[in-house]
This record gives sequence, C-alpha cells and structure tokens, in this order.
Amino acid sequence: MKTHIIAFALSIIISLSARAELKWEQTSLELHPTPNDKQAIGHFKYQNTGKTPVHFKSVHASCGCTTAQTQKDEVPAGGSGEITATFNIGDRTGTQVKTVTVETDEATNQKTVLTLKTIIPQQLELNPTFVFWKQGDKPDPKTIMVKAGKEFTVKHIKVTSSSPDFQTKVEEKGNGEFQIDVQPQETKNIVASTLTIQPEDSQKVFYATARITNAPTVQ
Amino acid sequence: MRSSLVRQVLILAALALAPGVGGAVYFRHKISWRSAILPSELATVDQARAWGGNVIWVDARPDDEFASDHVPGAISLNEDRWNELLPEFLAAWSPGKKVVVYCSSLSCNASREVARRLRKEAQLPDVFVLEGGWEAWLKKK
Repeated sequence: MKTHIIAFALSIIISLSARAELKWEQTSLELHPTPNDKQAIGHFKYQNTGKTPVHFKSVHASCGCTTAQTQKDEVPAGGSGEITATFNIGDRTGTQVKTVTVETDEATNQKTVLTLKTIIPQQLELNPTFVFWKQGDKPDPKTIMVKAGKEFTVKHIKVTSSSPDFQTKVEEKGNGEFQIDVQPQETKNIVASTLTIQPEDSQKVFYATARITNAPTVQ
Repeated sequence: MRSSLVRQVLILAALALAPGVGGAVYFRHKISWRSAILPSELATVDQARAWGGNVIWVDARPDDEFASDHVPGAISLNEDRWNELLPEFLAAWSPGKKVVVYCSSLSCNASREVARRLRKEAQLPDVFVLEGGWEAWLKKK
C-alpha cells in the first residue's frame, strides 16, 4: 500500500514537472510616453520553465489601436522571448488601459491576459473645446479655460483663429491657467473657426472650435 | 490566559486584514479597461431609429472599418484622428440633435470614450452609446 502511494505521488510530481509552462516576468505594464510620442511600446517577457515546447494559438489586442506580436510561434523547453504590444496614441488623452489576450496549448493556464496601462501626459487641458452661438444670438464673448497639466510649466500661450469671423483675447490668470475669450463678429451666417492654442516653447498644438450653428431642431 | 487569547485573536485578525489592505493600496490606481456608463447614456437601435432625422450617427471605429461599411449618413469620429475629425462632426451638429455613437460590438470601448469626450470636452448634451454597436445595427438592418 505504501509503495502504491509513493508511486502515485511520484507520477504526479513527474507529470507536473514535465508539463510546459510559460512564466511571465510581468503581466501588467505601465508606460509613460512623452507628449510628442506617437506610440507606447510594452515588452512582456516570458520563459518556458516546463520540459515540453509551448505553442501560441492566438494573440489578440482589445482594440484596433493596439497591435501585439510574438517573436515566434513555438517556445522550446527552457526558451524565452517576449510579446511586443504597441499602442498607437493618436489623439487619445489621459489613462488608457488596453489588454492583449494570449492563448497557448499549455495543459493549464491556456489563456493569459496582458495589461498595458499608458499614462498620456496632457500639457494643456481645455474646458470646453467647443463654443457655439445659435444664429441670431447676441454675439457676446464665450470663455474657454486653459490649464497646464500637473507636470508642466506653461507661462504663455498663443491663440490663433483660422477665421477672421471670430476674435480671441487671452488673459493669463497665473498658476498655469489662462482664459480665452472668443467673440464672433456677428451671428447672422453659419461660420466656424478652428482655434489653435500653442504653449510657448512647445511643438504641441491644441485645438478648439468656435461655431455659429443652425437654430435648434424642432422635436 | 484571557489576555493571551485576546492577543492571539488580534494577531490573527491583523494577519487576515494585511493582504486586503495591501491589495487595496497596491491596486489603488487600477482602473477598468472599459469606461463606466449609465443606462441613461445607452440607446438601442430601435430607440435611435425612432428619433429619425434628429440623430447624428457617429462611427467611433478605426478608419478602415468605417471605409468598409457604416450606418448610412454616419460621421467618422475616432480617437486616432480626433483633432482632425471633430470639426467635421461639429459642422453637422446643431442644438437639439441627438448623437448616437457606435463601435464594433457590445465589448468594444471606443464608442464609450468618444461619447465621454463629446460630453466632457465639447460639453454636448444628448450623447448616447449604441447598445451592441455595429453588430446590433447589422442584426436589425
């Protein structure tokens, strides 16, 4: 009886040690791109600590803005490698969390979810990014508040209007805050302007829109 | 005897509490990859259709998916080219219009993000996320 128990325990130990197993260095990464970066790239490193090869069955990202690539389809026993996840920042802002789901032919733990958290720095915050007047409204000025992000120092901003139909005036409020007053010449016609806001000594450009709109739709 | 028992209970309670507190501190900045959404910010295909011509359909999917097919009359507005596409959307918007944003399916997040930015940054009212996204629209086509 005792021999049977030992044999059973040994067979379990041997089968466990013989299985393929991917050990991930990290399944969660936090990236901090600079304001001018177009992409944020995360490297998820792994090692096959088992005694048989591991095959990747599928690797797919949670959104079209993220791509994920394996270096190889098969990881030999003892082999290592990485999955590269590339997040295209585009015009996204704030904290972005994207996932990559990896499926393998391991006996256990076939599905691993890798998480890529990207903190996109925001040099300026605009509130709001859109001001409008209905046709026939009084052409009073409307305000856009601009605030520098926590980790940035902005002393001056430059504001330009793409259309002479709108005038802008910037007031520096201190502590990285600015007030932009936008005023249309008149509100008879449907016209629009893109306001370009650029911090001094920065390549980064921010946009707001000013517009004279149709009268409200009758519901 | 009693003080020893109390001490042991306190030690066990502290040991049991430690992983919970540790987890709460360590994961304090962890956020869900999907933006939270209120039921009042969702619209079904039938609801959106009932609004008729008073709706602007916004396609939050990537450019290639929009080019492949989209809801008739929909405007492309995705975060890849937000700064470029937003003025085009705003040109179509007027007060009183309802905005219905969709992405691929129930599980995608792009429509929630686009709707959130329209509400928060552009401060537009009546912005809804289409429940079930493009897949739901196709089923009801």
